[in-house]
Amino acid sequence: MSVDGQSVPGTHEPAAATQLRKAVVVGGNRIPFARAGGAYTKSSNQDMLTAALDGLIARFGLQEERIGEVAAGAVLKHSRDFNLTREAVLGSALAAETPAYDLQQACATGLETVLGLANKIKLGQIDSAIAGGVDSASDAPIAVSEGLREVLLDLNRAKTVSRKLQVLSRLRPKDLAPDAPNTGEPRTGLSMGEHQALTTAQWKITREAQDELAFNSHRNLAAAYDAGFFDDLLTPYRGLSRDANLRPDTSPEKLATLKPVFGKNLGAEATMTAGNSTPLTDGASTVLLASEEWADAHDLPKLATVVDGEAAAVDFVHGKDGLLMAPVFAVPRLLARHNLTLGDIDFFEIHEAFAGTVLSTLAAWEDEEFCRTRLGLDGALGSVDRSKLNVNGSSLAAGHPFAATGGRIVASLAKMLHARGQVNGRPARGLVSICAAGGQGVVAILEAL
Amino acid sequence: MSDFQTVILGEMPALSKLYVNAAAAAARRRVLGTHGGTELPAYTHEVRGVRADVANLTAYQHLIGETAGDVLPAGFIHALAFPLAMSVMSRDDFPLPLLGMIHLTNKVVQSGPILFTEALDIRARVENLRGHRTGTQLDVVAEVRTAGREALLWRGISTYLAKGVFLPGIDKPSAPVTQPPFSVPDPTALWQLGVDTGRAYAAVSGDFNPIHLSVLTAKALGMRRSLAHGMYLASRALADVGAVKGDSFSWEVAFDAPVFLPARVALDINTVQGDGGAWARSAYVAWNPLSGRRHFSGTVAALD
Repeated sequence: MSVDGQSVPGTHEPAAATQLRKAVVVGGNRIPFARAGGAYTKSSNQDMLTAALDGLIARFGLQEERIGEVAAGAVLKHSRDFNLTREAVLGSALAAETPAYDLQQACATGLETVLGLANKIKLGQIDSAIAGGVDSASDAPIAVSEGLREVLLDLNRAKTVSRKLQVLSRLRPKDLAPDAPNTGEPRTGLSMGEHQALTTAQWKITREAQDELAFNSHRNLAAAYDAGFFDDLLTPYRGLSRDANLRPDTSPEKLATLKPVFGKNLGAEATMTAGNSTPLTDGASTVLLASEEWADAHDLPKLATVVDGEAAAVDFVHGKDGLLMAPVFAVPRLLARHNLTLGDIDFFEIHEAFAGTVLSTLAAWEDEEFCRTRLGLDGALGSVDRSKLNVNGSSLAAGHPFAATGGRIVASLAKMLHARGQVNGRPARGLVSICAAGGQGVVAILEAL
Repeated sequence: MSDFQTVILGEMPALSKLYVNAAAAAARRRVLGTHGGTELPAYTHEVRGVRADVANLTAYQHLIGETAGDVLPAGFIHALAFPLAMSVMSRDDFPLPLLGMIHLTNKVVQSGPILFTEALDIRARVENLRGHRTGTQLDVVAEVRTAGREALLWRGISTYLAKGVFLPGIDKPSAPVTQPPFSVPDPTALWQLGVDTGRAYAAVSGDFNPIHLSVLTAKALGMRRSLAHGMYLASRALADVGAVKGDSFSWEVAFDAPVFLPARVALDINTVQGDGGAWARSAYVAWNPLSGRRHFSGTVAALD
């Protein structure tokens, strides 16, 4: 059965979950996130990932430990970093016998490393794992132009001097201009912000609602820092001990003064500003995962279990759905598989790529027509209790080093779930939702231990 | 059609030579004030056993945004057949000035996949000389078949306008065709076209029409800046429609305001599903995101 190519939720049962052991989150560590061009300007992805990894190793006493597997990735990745994660492991205090692999799924990279490694632990393939992600918008790889690249490759293939000169003579001055990465979607040429501006307008999300969400993100993150929440989740790096993007003193009034930056050529009013959109950011995060036995044997905490995950993708290319709306489809499928509703979730961690992304997602779940025709539900999925949404701040305040966001969220959520413990006689439950470029999304459920 | 006599050319004519000849003919006409009559030449030009150059094909596919596969894109076949079409229009008995003609519409029916390895028989002719409220228009018909076979695989009909040229005996339509006003939709894509877009397409299509090459060569022909090639734009829209169109489809485009380079072009692709939810067609329209002027529009549709 399918509705618009998206399978109807609840039509298959999870694999015999009783036969699988649990994958638990032991803890996490990240470096504070810096704004692009800030404190980490000269730090490479490998530098930052190693810094986050070393902090994790120090916190949990993993020096010389052979971890089952380490998986991490970066969205903006230099071709020389083909073994980024393995190189970071070799540069860390972990045993050199620790295998590692790179993964890349745009902004869902970090969460997907958690899910993939958790599955390996559940299957008994490994007992311990470190998931992670890193990105640098400052130290971004710059490619040479296609013209120069072709000349260089042909030059390498040319055997004689005369042939080499012939190849070189093809070079033109414009070939020397570099080709920097941009945030445009390859198939549409629209930037992520322009894509979201279309979705934001489609769901009629107001400027005020976006600014309010951004304000809450800063307020919640600042309060979490003040309460010492990040004391065991973060290692200072390059002089930063807090996320550089955090503005504790911002206000809805200040946010209201910012000029729109996206969607200025659309028919609708432009509502997306630098304040309610995430800035380009540098940073890295890691999460330590393990079987219960491994955690117990190492006398380490068990904060939460990684219950399940779901990926979705949407047909955004010709505007059928918004670029960042895939989690709208993934979440109801995941909930249905576990016979849960939005009301059964105690913490919602919805990545704030843009305030408009979060609010469009919530609006879609509240829209009866959309949920019936597009999600195959009987009615609206329901409303998210705003008091349970991103309670310790999210990407609008912390920043969003693409692949590092999943690890940031999973480590923080596991700690919150553990602190909450039981709710109505069952473990506290958290939902993670991360949208990604290419019209993709990955979501997951974690439960307190 | 039986009135057409076939002229078989030994090889694909060189476009550069044709453009030079056209320029010479234009100068001759300016000096002597003669024109080539009021009827279209009743000749079909044919080249047999044409093969696509694979390096050129790859360059074309990368430029247009097609995956470099082994099937020839419909727009690439247009470019492949174009020199032959030009050779008909550069005949001495062709009644209209070739340089400066405006491409109004283009219609292609692709009946099946053509692999780059196939030898092809290509034919071209001109027909349907008729009036236009601003000049005289005609259709250039190109056909592509597997060498030695009768089944038609690709047919293109390009309608060109010789602006300001009025031939005796050809009436212009009395009432101008009024188009409904264009209201700008939300874009599904945004193209950034650099100044070298015209040159880049010339390099892969072989169509070195001076109005696309540079500001100077365009100015020489009365344009204020160089233009993006219409078939480049339409071919990118075709690529953007994607794999859903399959190997056989119709592809139409109507050109409105020219795209002066460099440019930002906004595009909307609207997918229409038929009964049962299968893809029926994709309608596309492109416009200038600042002025809201429409550049071109068209459809890619499943064949009946």
